Amino acid sequence: MTETKSGPSQELRSASWLRILALGRNPKTTLIRAAVLAVVCVVVFKAVLLPVRVQGISMTPTYADGSVHFVNRLAYLWHEPQRGDVVGIRLTPPNGWSAPHIMYFKRIIGLPGETVAFENGRVLVNGLILEEPYQKGPCDWNADAVTLGANEYFVVGDNRSMAKEEHVFGKAERSRIVGKALL
Amino acid sequence: MKWLRFLLLAVVVALGVWAWMALHPDPERVIRRRLEGLARAASFEPNQGSLAKLVGAERVANFCSTNVDVNIDVPGHQEHRLAGREEIQQAALALRASARGLTVTFPDVTIQVSADKQSAVADLTLQAQVAGERDMIVQEVKVTLQKIDGQWLLVKLETVRTLR
Repeated sequence: MTETKSGPSQELRSASWLRILALGRNPKTTLIRAAVLAVVCVVVFKAVLLPVRVQGISMTPTYADGSVHFVNRLAYLWHEPQRGDVVGIRLTPPNGWSAPHIMYFKRIIGLPGETVAFENGRVLVNGLILEEPYQKGPCDWNADAVTLGANEYFVVGDNRSMAKEEHVFGKAERSRIVGKALL
Repeated sequence: MKWLRFLLLAVVVALGVWAWMALHPDPERVIRRRLEGLARAASFEPNQGSLAKLVGAERVANFCSTNVDVNIDVPGHQEHRLAGREEIQQAALALRASARGLTVTFPDVTIQVSADKQSAVADLTLQAQVAGERDMIVQEVKVTLQKIDGQWLLVKLETVRTLR
């Protein structure tokens, strides 16, 4: 027959283990680490990787309504936006480095200087049909050709099954592109 | 007792700064507060009584100058052109009668105050959620304000197409 002793010394030992588990062997170092981690998180998620929750169906099926993603603000520091990139576009003019709370989430289909048109649901860039593997549903859109300026990109959502009138798309100034969608 | 003198001096200086800021508020801060007030006035709860609707509509109109010009063109919705405070009040009342509830916020605001500090232009994002509707209305808006009789009032409000 075995007997377990649960005296004050064992309680003390378990309490100290709990303390070590929660605060580490050196609480001061743990506190500094936690503070540094908190600062890094705030800087990263407020200024660099902006968390965004998609609202609406204009980017389905690529980005579902309600899903959470990130916009990388450093993506275009060394190169310009590319065709096919999904980007965050601010609604208000840029104001320093402050991050917008609300953005459009669209895909770039036209680059500066190009001419973009919709013809029976197909995108024509400089008169040539653009292959769009991300665009799944049926589309019957027609829109006159638009020529982009030196700092303009043509952006549109992936869901072209919805009515054109309800879909926000068109020319976006480079300065309004906040960053590239991550994940 | 030297430290006590320093403390008193610090308190006096802090009070002086606070009083100066209270008497001479930064126009940008005043406009921001004004826009927040407008968003609150434009929002309304469902099942409001007739009197509350009337008071709410009047509060919205009070943010505008007598000759205010409003042009709202949101994709997928009917275009509205309103001129004058009276029309704003009527429109606000009609909205309260037709919609079950509305929540308005201006999350991103950029303000440019003129050199004479008598007029300002605010670029902002309008976020509106109509009660019972799944999708939120998000729209870029440009607001022109003027200081009239010591108060910042809306003289022009127009929606802007971010993507042209």
